[in-house]
Amino acid sequence: MPEKKSLPRFAVLQLSGCSGCEVSLINATEWVEKYKLVYMPLVVSTHAIPDDTEILLVSGGVRNDEDVYNLRRAVSIVDRVVAVGTCAISGGISNLGDRDDVREIFTAQAARHHLPHLLPKSHPIDNFVDVDLYLPGCPPTPELLMAALTGPENFQASSIVCAECGRKKLKDMRPKHLLGFQQGKVLPDICLINQGYLCVGSSTRGGCRAICTRAGHPCVGCRGPSNAYIEKESQVWFDRVQKVFERMTDIPPEEIYEALHSPQLSLFLFQFTDYMGSDRKPRPKEKVL
Amino acid sequence: MTTLRFPLSRIEGHARVEMEIEEGEVVSAQFQALEMRGFRYFVLGTPAEQMPVITPRICGVCSTAHHVASVKALEDAYDVQPPRLACEIRELLMLGQLIQNQATSLFIFTMPDRLGASSIFHIDEDEADPDTQMSLAQRALRVRQIGTKLITLAGGQFIHPVKAIIGGVTSGIKRQDADVLLEEMQALLSDVCSLFDDYWEMSMALRERIGTWGDDQPAFYIASTGGSQLRFNSSEIRVLGPDGHERASFPPNLFRSYLDYEETEYSYAGQSSYQGEVLRANSLARINLASAMGTPLADDYLEKFTHEFGKPAHPILLFDLCRGIELVYAFERAIEMLKKDLDYEDTDVPYTPKDGEGYGLVEAPRGPLIHHYKIKDGLIEDAEFIIPTVHNMLAIERALKVAGKRYITPERINLELEKAVGRVVRAFDPCIACATQ
Repeated sequence: MPEKKSLPRFAVLQLSGCSGCEVSLINATEWVEKYKLVYMPLVVSTHAIPDDTEILLVSGGVRNDEDVYNLRRAVSIVDRVVAVGTCAISGGISNLGDRDDVREIFTAQAARHHLPHLLPKSHPIDNFVDVDLYLPGCPPTPELLMAALTGPENFQASSIVCAECGRKKLKDMRPKHLLGFQQGKVLPDICLINQGYLCVGSSTRGGCRAICTRAGHPCVGCRGPSNAYIEKESQVWFDRVQKVFERMTDIPPEEIYEALHSPQLSLFLFQFTDYMGSDRKPRPKEKVL
Repeated sequence: MTTLRFPLSRIEGHARVEMEIEEGEVVSAQFQALEMRGFRYFVLGTPAEQMPVITPRICGVCSTAHHVASVKALEDAYDVQPPRLACEIRELLMLGQLIQNQATSLFIFTMPDRLGASSIFHIDEDEADPDTQMSLAQRALRVRQIGTKLITLAGGQFIHPVKAIIGGVTSGIKRQDADVLLEEMQALLSDVCSLFDDYWEMSMALRERIGTWGDDQPAFYIASTGGSQLRFNSSEIRVLGPDGHERASFPPNLFRSYLDYEETEYSYAGQSSYQGEVLRANSLARINLASAMGTPLADDYLEKFTHEFGKPAHPILLFDLCRGIELVYAFERAIEMLKKDLDYEDTDVPYTPKDGEGYGLVEAPRGPLIHHYKIKDGLIEDAEFIIPTVHNMLAIERALKVAGKRYITPERINLELEKAVGRVVRAFDPCIACATQ
């Protein structure tokens, strides 16, 4: 075994998030022999990022002013920054709170004077720092995390979740209405769209190995748009999902449109919220794993 | 007045401890949760049936508990009873979560305290014999990974599960998949026990070195697991008095009549109590409330534990030993369950969404977790998350004060205090993401 000090040194900075990305990293045990983990408060009692750290993985969104400071400080130390998970990339599920009515109650009730000051919304980290690699997923699988550490060139994936799913698409099974998100008996081996579920795997980035749809749950789009759509505005992805449903089902187009555009559908389309109503430039696909 | 501030690590989330000292006396000890995302606010207006996918994101460590509690709350609101298979798959999910969590707490969070290391991943730097020490980390991770595999098998996704749905589960577990994990778990069980035996020894050595098991004053205990068998399929919450007598037993919708809740200005997390008294949830509470675990090896450990520490046991470092007993239990119980047929047709029952109110209770690794929703026009009108870590807040602060008293004198502050603060907090294994949501 090579001497540990010569191993590449990496740190994990957790901002406001759920620790799911960190748990996924601990699930990936392969790095233990290949990398030296120098900072990760969840599992290491070191209170500062050492100066000779090479790679920084950042998870969680920027939710308070301490997050901003810790993020900028950490990035100034390291050579390479990887944004890990949906929260770091787009603000994540906290963006469900990015509505005037919710923001109002939230800031009124949640504020505490002696603690890190909450920002009105959760921000993606590239609002504050430059990012070298984006690793979307809620959370990214251990396999994806290993690929982000070792280098994306070693990673093979299909362009969309559909291609990794293995469920059969049937020509003659055309639902007339959308089924509830949770409702109904899921038939094994048959495409969830054929069964009337609002599955967005047809244009969601592959690489997760379709774990949710294989288990019988519609894809909620946590990996964000595939390369075909990632550099375009969100509407193009919406239109694409809409077209897939129009082609494969007899569900009235307005029913699909309404379901896709309800505010809570930011759940399905985690990655969209930060495109909507902002003039942010899309992330170049070369930088997204 | 002197204020000592201790950053915390090897716990879930962002928190710190602030201790105020005046003339060698600890005036106050605050456990401060430093982050908040605001789930209870931003789920307002969400279509109710999306909650089982949204709420696991409250916490990547406790996601399974939120997933199942959410589904149970909606089933309560819609008045639907899931079939037996669904209940079994959900129990397996909770066992997977328990294995993953207790292995993490034992080996990644607290074992370094017993070895004088900063992390289980750095033990080879701190110890003379790198080879054997490294194998300890790998053995520990291998045990922990079983929990992840069980969650994946029973829940579909590996962190934020998807298989529990209103009325049941999306699918069962195929025989050949169950067999693969079953074989792996059976082969690992003896190593689980030997890791725990080592941990027990290390804990005895720690006790020998520091001369205490920590805050041993009596407290109330709360759990929703069984009395004669542990079982993670909760329907009722039970409260044990400091004297070991059961004081209350109630369904989740009545929690307000028994538990008081307060917010503080110094933390994003609230605090609950049993009618003003210090309350404890998590492993020690479950063990104090159980006369038997219901599986052979875990029962042996329980007997050894009770023989050594009595019942109810109060010292806080015993939380850690109880996690080990539960780890063994979860392995044994999961092995028992994976032998059953889990792949038949009866996965779920139909339901009709309706407006109203629902409560979902599960025993999360940290204690009883309740989701409470009010639904109007199919949308969430109000949501409450009753979080186990919040039940432990007063107990954590009391134990911190006890540690402060031990290590602070008018002459000086003993350097052991910083380590003691870490040990106290980790004994309760708090989850900040959950406590603040």
